[in-house]
Amino acid sequence: MLAKYLKRAILAALYIGFSHWSSTAIAQNAEASNLYKRGLAATCANCHGTDGKGVVDGGMPLINNLTSEQMLTQLKAFKSGAREGTIMPQLAKGYSDEQLVTIANQLGKK
Amino acid sequence: MDRRHFIGHSAAALGLLAGFSGHARANLQKAEILVIGGGYGGATAAKYLRLFSNNTAKVTLIEPNPTFISCPLSNLVVGGSRTLADLTSSYDNLSKRHGIKIIKDSVASIDADKKTVKLASGKTLRYDKVVVSPGITLMMNSIEGLAQANKDGVTLQAWKAGPETVALHKQMAAMRDGGTFAISIPEAPYRCPPGPYERACQVANYLKQNKPKSKVLILDANQDVTSKGALFKKVWAEQYPGMIEYLPKHNVTAVDAKTKTIKLEIQDDVKADVLNLLPAMSAGEIAVKTGLANSNGRWVNVNFINFESTAQKDIYVLGDSIQVANAMPKSGHMANQHAKVAAAAIVAELSGWEVNPAPVLTNTCYSFVNDREVVHVASVHQYIAAEKTFKPVPGSGGVSPAPSTLEGVYAWGWAHNIWADSLG
Repeated sequence: MLAKYLKRAILAALYIGFSHWSSTAIAQNAEASNLYKRGLAATCANCHGTDGKGVVDGGMPLINNLTSEQMLTQLKAFKSGAREGTIMPQLAKGYSDEQLVTIANQLGKK
Repeated sequence: MDRRHFIGHSAAALGLLAGFSGHARANLQKAEILVIGGGYGGATAAKYLRLFSNNTAKVTLIEPNPTFISCPLSNLVVGGSRTLADLTSSYDNLSKRHGIKIIKDSVASIDADKKTVKLASGKTLRYDKVVVSPGITLMMNSIEGLAQANKDGVTLQAWKAGPETVALHKQMAAMRDGGTFAISIPEAPYRCPPGPYERACQVANYLKQNKPKSKVLILDANQDVTSKGALFKKVWAEQYPGMIEYLPKHNVTAVDAKTKTIKLEIQDDVKADVLNLLPAMSAGEIAVKTGLANSNGRWVNVNFINFESTAQKDIYVLGDSIQVANAMPKSGHMANQHAKVAAAAIVAELSGWEVNPAPVLTNTCYSFVNDREVVHVASVHQYIAAEKTFKPVPGSGGVSPAPSTLEGVYAWGWAHNIWADSLG
């Protein structure tokens, strides 16, 4: 009787433990993935400011007034050549379409 | 195994599973992270270690200088259109806004086995991870007589922005009209590939207005201009006709300070009035001393996915000190980008996560061809996992079609933003 109860308790505990572990693993993956996205967006920060918040009146066009959608439209236009520019048409061509989506989502006005 | 032991083991396993994430997080919070050098690489690494850890990592920055002085744009100080004050930023925000401990000192040695750093003041600090971003060493012995000539103040390098930059401007301003300003360039790789050519423009811009009979002589050890070549040559011909003489494949081997004579490997000796001789360069002194410079004894090989030294675990090397990947310049912008990849990798490692398998770097470099007009070179570098290196993306990047004042405005925009991104 006691053995049976203990076995169930252990199994239950292990199950809870495992599901906790797997949900933790998923949470970790989400956190890691978020870190990768922040890292990618940080490649823009040298010219457009940390987290897209550029120096006001610093001389560089500000991007933090754009929504993610507007930003993605501009990035795609730079990449395709539809929009002219100095450096941006050259840099936009270095990112995959998926990376441009990530950047726009990270830096667009919330 | 008896029942009691089985229960005990199971409970332990459960505890281990439940505690796993908390344990990894505790590693990030408990770790001692040191950053050596507060230039474009080190300052950015310190700040982004805090940002990427949501301000939980303990970060200490060790830097001997009281303020940050930008090397990019310092050729404008040589030319006289700007002052050092225009290029100087405080380190205060790193401590006040970002909670980074700043120690104003230099590092005497690193003990990679004991994982300690000894400061010049004698204090020893323990580390779990150390970021080494010491810039470059000028190999004064690569040009015979240069070390002494420099001590005597006859020659100047001004390749690390600071008082020497101002001193070089003064030498140029004191030169007789009709004199020669000679700048020599070592074989690549060296810090800031377009820098010497930009400097030639800045000196010529000053001489054109103030001492129009004078000349700028560029003695380049390389086969040709190493960056923005067509653009610089066009500017020299159109804006400074007859004033800038460019001599490729001219390798300087010695200098005679008394007679201000430059000796070349192949060609005849050259005399000049101002001698700005750039010797060969290597990784920063502390990197070389620690045995990290395992590429020809000059540069540090790193694993590009996280910028960890291939010579020592838990030592991450950034910026000009590393042996670069294909088409990766030694620039301040690039050092800032290295720093972000390394900071994210360190946070991931200490959190028990996989390091980002696909990091990206960009480079942007503006050169002033006079005091207003600018040309750029830009590139994007993606990590190629199969080759464990960064490669520029085909079809991306490039240079300006021509100098423009618009890019002159963007160059200052770049400066204000990268200073804020690294230090603000």
